[in-house]
Amino acid sequence: MTRSGFWIVAAVILVALMVLGVSWGTVPLSLHAVVAALAGHGDRNAVEIVRALRLPRVALAALVGAGLGVSGAALQGSLRNALAEPYLLGVSGGAAVGAVIGVALGFSSAVALPLFAFAGAAAAIATAILIARAAGGRADPRVLLMAGVIIGAFANAAIMVVLSGAPANTMRSALWWMMGSAAGADWPQVAWLAGYTVLAGGALLWFARDIDILALGDESATALGVNAERAGRRVFLVSSLLAAATVAAAGLVGFVGLVVPHLVRAAGIRRHRPLLLGAALTGAALVVLADLVARTAHPPAELPLGAVTALVGVPFFLVQLRRFS
Amino acid sequence: MASSAFVWWRALAHGHLLPGTVPILRRVHAVHAVPVLALLIAGCRDAPPRRGAVRVDDFGEPVRRGSAVSPSRIVSLMPATTELLFAIGAGPRVVGRTPWDLWSDSARRIADAGVGLRPNIEAVLARKPDLVLLYAAGENHAAAQALHAAGVPVIALRIDRLEDFRRAARLIGMATGDSARAATVVDSVDRTLARVRSATAGLPRPTVFWHVWDAPIITIGRGSFLDQLLTIAGGRNVYEDLSQPSPQVSIEDIVRRDPDVILAGPDGAARIRASTTWRAVRAARTGHVLVVDTSLIGHPSVRMGEAAVVLARLLHPGAMP
Amino acid sequence: MIRFDQVVARYPRAAGAAVDDVSFVVPPARITAVVGPNGSGKSTLVRALLRMLPLVSGTIRVEGLDGAAGDRRAFARRVAVVTQRESLVFPMPVREYVALGRYPHEGSWHAAGAEDERAIDDAVMLAGVLPFAQRSTEELSGGEWQRVRIARALAQRAPALVLDEPTTFLDIAHEMAMFELFARLARGGTAVLLVSHQLNLVARFADTMVLLHRGRVAAAGTPTEVMRAAVLEPVYDWPLVITRDPAVGAPALLPLRGSSR
Repeated sequence: MTRSGFWIVAAVILVALMVLGVSWGTVPLSLHAVVAALAGHGDRNAVEIVRALRLPRVALAALVGAGLGVSGAALQGSLRNALAEPYLLGVSGGAAVGAVIGVALGFSSAVALPLFAFAGAAAAIATAILIARAAGGRADPRVLLMAGVIIGAFANAAIMVVLSGAPANTMRSALWWMMGSAAGADWPQVAWLAGYTVLAGGALLWFARDIDILALGDESATALGVNAERAGRRVFLVSSLLAAATVAAAGLVGFVGLVVPHLVRAAGIRRHRPLLLGAALTGAALVVLADLVARTAHPPAELPLGAVTALVGVPFFLVQLRRFS
Repeated sequence: MASSAFVWWRALAHGHLLPGTVPILRRVHAVHAVPVLALLIAGCRDAPPRRGAVRVDDFGEPVRRGSAVSPSRIVSLMPATTELLFAIGAGPRVVGRTPWDLWSDSARRIADAGVGLRPNIEAVLARKPDLVLLYAAGENHAAAQALHAAGVPVIALRIDRLEDFRRAARLIGMATGDSARAATVVDSVDRTLARVRSATAGLPRPTVFWHVWDAPIITIGRGSFLDQLLTIAGGRNVYEDLSQPSPQVSIEDIVRRDPDVILAGPDGAARIRASTTWRAVRAARTGHVLVVDTSLIGHPSVRMGEAAVVLARLLHPGAMP
Repeated sequence: MIRFDQVVARYPRAAGAAVDDVSFVVPPARITAVVGPNGSGKSTLVRALLRMLPLVSGTIRVEGLDGAAGDRRAFARRVAVVTQRESLVFPMPVREYVALGRYPHEGSWHAAGAEDERAIDDAVMLAGVLPFAQRSTEELSGGEWQRVRIARALAQRAPALVLDEPTTFLDIAHEMAMFELFARLARGGTAVLLVSHQLNLVARFADTMVLLHRGRVAAAGTPTEVMRAAVLEPVYDWPLVITRDPAVGAPALLPLRGSSR
C-alpha cells in the first residue's frame, strides 16, 4: 500500500465505521430512520437511541481508540521497543487500583469513578518515574519499562486483595469496569475526553520529531542534540496521561496501543509525525468497530469492550511469532 | 405434641421470635387462627418419615431427618437460609453465618463463619457445626466433600424461585426437627401471595423493567423468584422471555422493549434519574421509576409475601389494601 | 576545532577518575587519533563530549562553544558524533535515516527545506552509500551500515567529526575505504577526532596521535613520535616491535609472542 493510499483508506474506513456504529445496534433501524433521528424527527425512541445512546458512544469509542493509538505509537518510538504499550507501564494497573478502591468505598457513579481511575493512573505514572530515577536509569528506557512492570504487578496484587473480601456487587462492578466499556458514554464525557485528547495528542505531535531521534538510541540521540533523558520522560509522561484519560473514560481497553502502531508502520509510515496521526485514525476505527461488535454480537447482553479488543491481540501475536521464525 | 405446637405458634404470633416475621404473622393470628391450627396439627402428623421417600438436597445428597437428634450447632452459609432458620425458630441454634447476614441484632451476634462461595472450611469447622447449610453452586462441590469428609452433615440448596423456597423450607425444617414450624412459614407466605394474586387478578398489567444493577445492566429473567412475585403482584416482566435468573442486557434493548415502569432499589433509582443515557428509556424520561426496598427483595425469604404486597401497592395503588 | 582543557571525568560510584587531566586540541583539516588500551578512557572521553557524563572539572569546547553550557542543538551543529554501536528497532530506507542528521538544523516546525535536501545528497555521495540509498536499513551488511551511519553524521554538516571505533566490524577493504574517507574529509576542512584500536592504520592516516593510559595522556605527537616501543610498551604492557615498510611510509607495530618476554 502506498503512503497516500493509506490515508485515504484509513479515513474512509473510519467514517464508514462511525456511520455503521450509529446505524447499527440491538434495535434495527433503517438508514432513513437513522437520518431522521439524527435530525430529531421520527419515533421518539429512535431519536433517543441514535442521539443519546449511539452517537456519544461512537464518539467516545473513537476518542479512546485515537488516544490509545497515539499513546502507543509515541511510547514504542521513544522506548525503542516494538512491544511497548501504555498499559505495560503501570497506567492500567494504577487506574484499575484507583477504580477498584473507588467501587469498594462506594463511589461508583459516572462522575466519581473516572476520577478515582485517573488518580490511580497518575499515581502509578509518578511512581514509575520515581523508581526509574532512583534506579539511576538516566535515559535508559528499560528502567522505565521495568518500573512500569513492577507497578503493574503490585497493582494486580492490590486489586486481588481488595476484591477477595468484597461483596458480590463490588466485585461485579469492579470487574465490569476493568473489562472496559463505552456503554455509559454521554456528551460531557465526550467533551472532556475530546479536549484532553486534542491537547495531549497535539503535544505528542509536537514532540514527534524528538521521538524520531530518540528511536536511534540515547547516545545517537544526544549526539544529534536531543536531551534524551528529558525528552524521553516528557513523551512518557504525556503518553501515559493520555492513556490514563482513556482508561478513566472507558475502563481497560487493551491491545489497541500495542497493535495499532504496527498496523500503521506496515503501511510504510515511519516518521512519527504521520505515524501518530495514522495511529489516531486507525485506533479510532478499531475501537469503534470493537464497540459495535461488543454491543451486537450477543444480544441482548453486551460484551465488554476490552474482551473484544483482546481478541485482536491473538492474531497480532501470531503474526509477530511468524516474523520471528 | 399438639399442645407444644400450639404454644410455639402463639409465641411466634406474638412476635417473640423474630421481628421480621411479625407483620405477616400478626395478620395471620387474628383472622386465620383456625386454619393455621389445623395445618399445624396436620404438620405434626407429618413427623413420622414417609415410607420409601428419600429427601435430597440440590447436590443430590440425601437429607437426614433431625427429629431424633436435632442439630444444635448450625452454620448457615447463605443469607436466605439464615433468615429461614430464624423464621422456623432455629435461630438460637445458629452458630455461624456469612459476613452479609446482618439484618438483625440476633443475626449480628452470631459468629462470622466466612463467605458462602468457596467457604473457608477451617473457619466453618471452628464453629463445631453439626449441620451446615451451603449454597449449591458448582464451586462449592469441593467444600461439600470436605465437610462430608470431616463428618459434618451438609445440605446444599439453591433458592432461585418460589418452589425452591418452599422445598428448602421443608428440607431445613425436616433436618432441624422443626417441620411443623417450617410448614407454618411456607403456608403464611403462600396465603399472602394468594391474597395479592386475587387482588390484582383482573387489573391491566404494566410491563416492568426490574433494575438490579447498573454496571453492567442486570435485570431479572424467568428464572428468578422476583419474576414470579412481579407476576403475582399484577405486573409483567419485560424480560420474561429470558430464562436465566439474572441476565445482563444492553440499554438499547431496554429502549426497544419500552417498559411502562422501571423498578429499582434506592441507589439504582437515584442513578437512573441522574444518568443521561437512561433518559433514552421512556419510563425514565417520564418519571415512571418506582423504588423498592432492596432488603425486601434481596433473596427469597419469609418476607416474600410482604414483598408481593409492596409491589402490588406500587404497581396498582389503591387496589391492594 | 575541538579543545579538551584539563578534562576530569568520573563515573558515578567509581573510586578513581576515568579521564584525568586530559588536554589536547583537534585542529581543523587534520585527523587527530586517540589511542590506548582498554579502559584507558577513550570512549569515556567521547561520552564526556556528548555530555552523557558530567565533568568533574575542565572544559570541552567545540568551535568555542562549551559543551556543558545549555544549547545541545547548537553543539550538535558544530560537532557530529558517530558512536561505537547503533541498532535500529524500526528499519527505514537509508536516505530517510541519513535525513535524521539534519535535526540540529531544523526549525521549530521541523520542516525539511532545499538546503536540507542538498546536505543529505552530499552526505550520501560523500559516504559512498548512493548505490543503496533506497534500501532498508535492516538489509545492509555491517560495512554498509557503518557507512550509512557516517553519512548521517555528514548530513549534520558540522565542522568537527568524532568517530568512536568506526571500523570494528569491517574487513580490510572496508577499513581502508573508511580511513580514506576520513582523510578526504580532513582535507575538506573538517576537524576529525578518531578513537581507535587500530594503531597501524591510525599511524598511517592520523596527523596527531594522543596516547591515553589509565585516563591520563601518556604521549601526544606525530605518529613517528608516538609509535615507539619505549612509549608503547609500558602502556600496553606487551613486548612490541616497531617496523617501517617503505611501501607504507608510516611506522607499524608488531606485537611479539608472550614467550619472548
